[in-house]
Amino acid sequence: MTEYAERRQGPDIADFLIDNAQVLSIAVFFVACTIFFSASADYFLTVGNILNILRQAAPLLIVATAMTFVIVTAGIDLSVGSLIALINAVAAIALAAGLPWPLVVLAMFALGGLIGLAQGWFIAYQDVPAFIVTLAGLSILRGVALYLTKGYSIPISGVPGFLAIGRATVYGIPLPAIIAAAVALVGYVAIGRTKYGRQVVAVGSNAEAARRVGMPARWIVASVYIVSGVCAALAGIMLAARLGSGSSNAAVGFELQAIAAVVLGGTSLMGGRGTILGTILGTLTIAVIGNGLILMHISPFFTQIVTGAIILAAIWINTRIFSTRFRLKQRKEG
Amino acid sequence: MATGASLTDGGASPLRSAVGGTVPRIRLRGIRKRFGSVDALRGVDLELFPSECLGLVGDNAAGKSTLTKIISGTYIPDAGTIEIDGEVVRLTGPADARGRNIEMVFQDLSLCDHIDVVGNLFLGRERTRGPFLDRARMLAEGRQMLDALEIRIPKLTTRVAQLSGGQRQAIAIARAASFRPKVLIMDEPTSALAVAEVEAVLHLINRVKASGVSVILITHRLQDLFRVCDRIAVMYEGTKVAERAIENTDLEDLVKLIVGQGTLQ
Repeated sequence: MTEYAERRQGPDIADFLIDNAQVLSIAVFFVACTIFFSASADYFLTVGNILNILRQAAPLLIVATAMTFVIVTAGIDLSVGSLIALINAVAAIALAAGLPWPLVVLAMFALGGLIGLAQGWFIAYQDVPAFIVTLAGLSILRGVALYLTKGYSIPISGVPGFLAIGRATVYGIPLPAIIAAAVALVGYVAIGRTKYGRQVVAVGSNAEAARRVGMPARWIVASVYIVSGVCAALAGIMLAARLGSGSSNAAVGFELQAIAAVVLGGTSLMGGRGTILGTILGTLTIAVIGNGLILMHISPFFTQIVTGAIILAAIWINTRIFSTRFRLKQRKEG
Repeated sequence: MATGASLTDGGASPLRSAVGGTVPRIRLRGIRKRFGSVDALRGVDLELFPSECLGLVGDNAAGKSTLTKIISGTYIPDAGTIEIDGEVVRLTGPADARGRNIEMVFQDLSLCDHIDVVGNLFLGRERTRGPFLDRARMLAEGRQMLDALEIRIPKLTTRVAQLSGGQRQAIAIARAASFRPKVLIMDEPTSALAVAEVEAVLHLINRVKASGVSVILITHRLQDLFRVCDRIAVMYEGTKVAERAIENTDLEDLVKLIVGQGTLQ
């Protein structure tokens, strides 16, 4: 401790490794999964399958990017799967009623944003824990979707413009993948390089400090749920367009996949620390595992078990090996 | 050491500081504050002059923190007046106090561990270009801020969690000082620090003071007071029981005042 004024500067690479240990470890894990499935399943490493993985992963990447912002504020949004189902249902009903599809898309963004605002208001301004508010949202939104559709799935047809959102390709690359990559890029720039991102990190790291320096802490917390709602709406539109129907049973358990992708990427559930790059890798890892196990003809029921076990193992290794120094430091201060 | 004499020190005729004669930067008159059945402050008078460091000492629950929270606008007093530069004011909240250039460095460090040094220095007033952070400008200005106070931190892009306690405290003080405060209140800035770090922070307080800022220092480390303070006010059970110019007191005297002489007699 006596080197207060003379602390010598270590090599930059050491800081880089500490700061990015978790992203590096998930990157290694992702590469390992890819190599394993390439060797085990013949069809895995083909252009067709890779494009398929990207198309499948797109909605998850969009929701997980928004979820990263939520979790960086030490919050959680359990309602995204149900919100996707509601958007599915409402969009299908609106399209069936003959509304022009661009209007429907904009209305769905507005609906997602409003639902996010409502949840954010309870969380940020009424101090109800995010877990409780969004758990209620999970139940209510799914219920509304089921009530509207009576549990049936509503076909979407005759709107090629809308269906293209889930099915089109640009130079061979699926449009959903391009949209998702754009969302992730915006998220990456926003969290690291904008004032808004800095405010989100500050509120998650030390809400009291953020408030004391005059940041609108409550509004920032509410805003991440709006972001999450809008992104879930986008994912919902994409899923409905890809499947050509609006189902109130869509995206069951989707919120848990999104949270798993974010946490796999090294974002801390305690808030303050998060990376979009990690979330991208986490999302791709989950997508690759799901796809690879199917290609290996493993029972889809078994797939769930393996996915869960792999997530637990990856995060366990992450916390025990790669972030020991960081955790020790935190514990000491706590 | 007569009890009566010391008690009158804190009463009708408070000691003039070395810069006596000038208008006090802050003058408190008969400040009272109750929390339910607890009389936290029972009529406190206090003056603070420019470029002066006032030490505020007393046992736990003596009312030091309550008093500084009244000056920093966190609490509204039940009775009494606050004058800033000779003008009676009514502070409506922390933002109001900050608007009047009263800054506070908190005991629990208002830093964000996950953000780097320069990010913490500019927390809440980020330099931006459009919606984007202007990192180059913040790095340059942040370096100037630290250089002005002779704070040595090699790399401004280090995350604050990786710094020592003294470096963290220095950053918190540098941030508060960079708001160009007239009054800087520090609550236990040295309590959790190692010896060399305490030295660095004390030097820092002296430099802040030399730049014309009035400093209020709350500390249990009495030896620190003699390094930086011009005057010391002793609180006991919600009242100011004594005020001493630093040259007229010593450690033993202070300890007696703090524990309450009635019990020592």
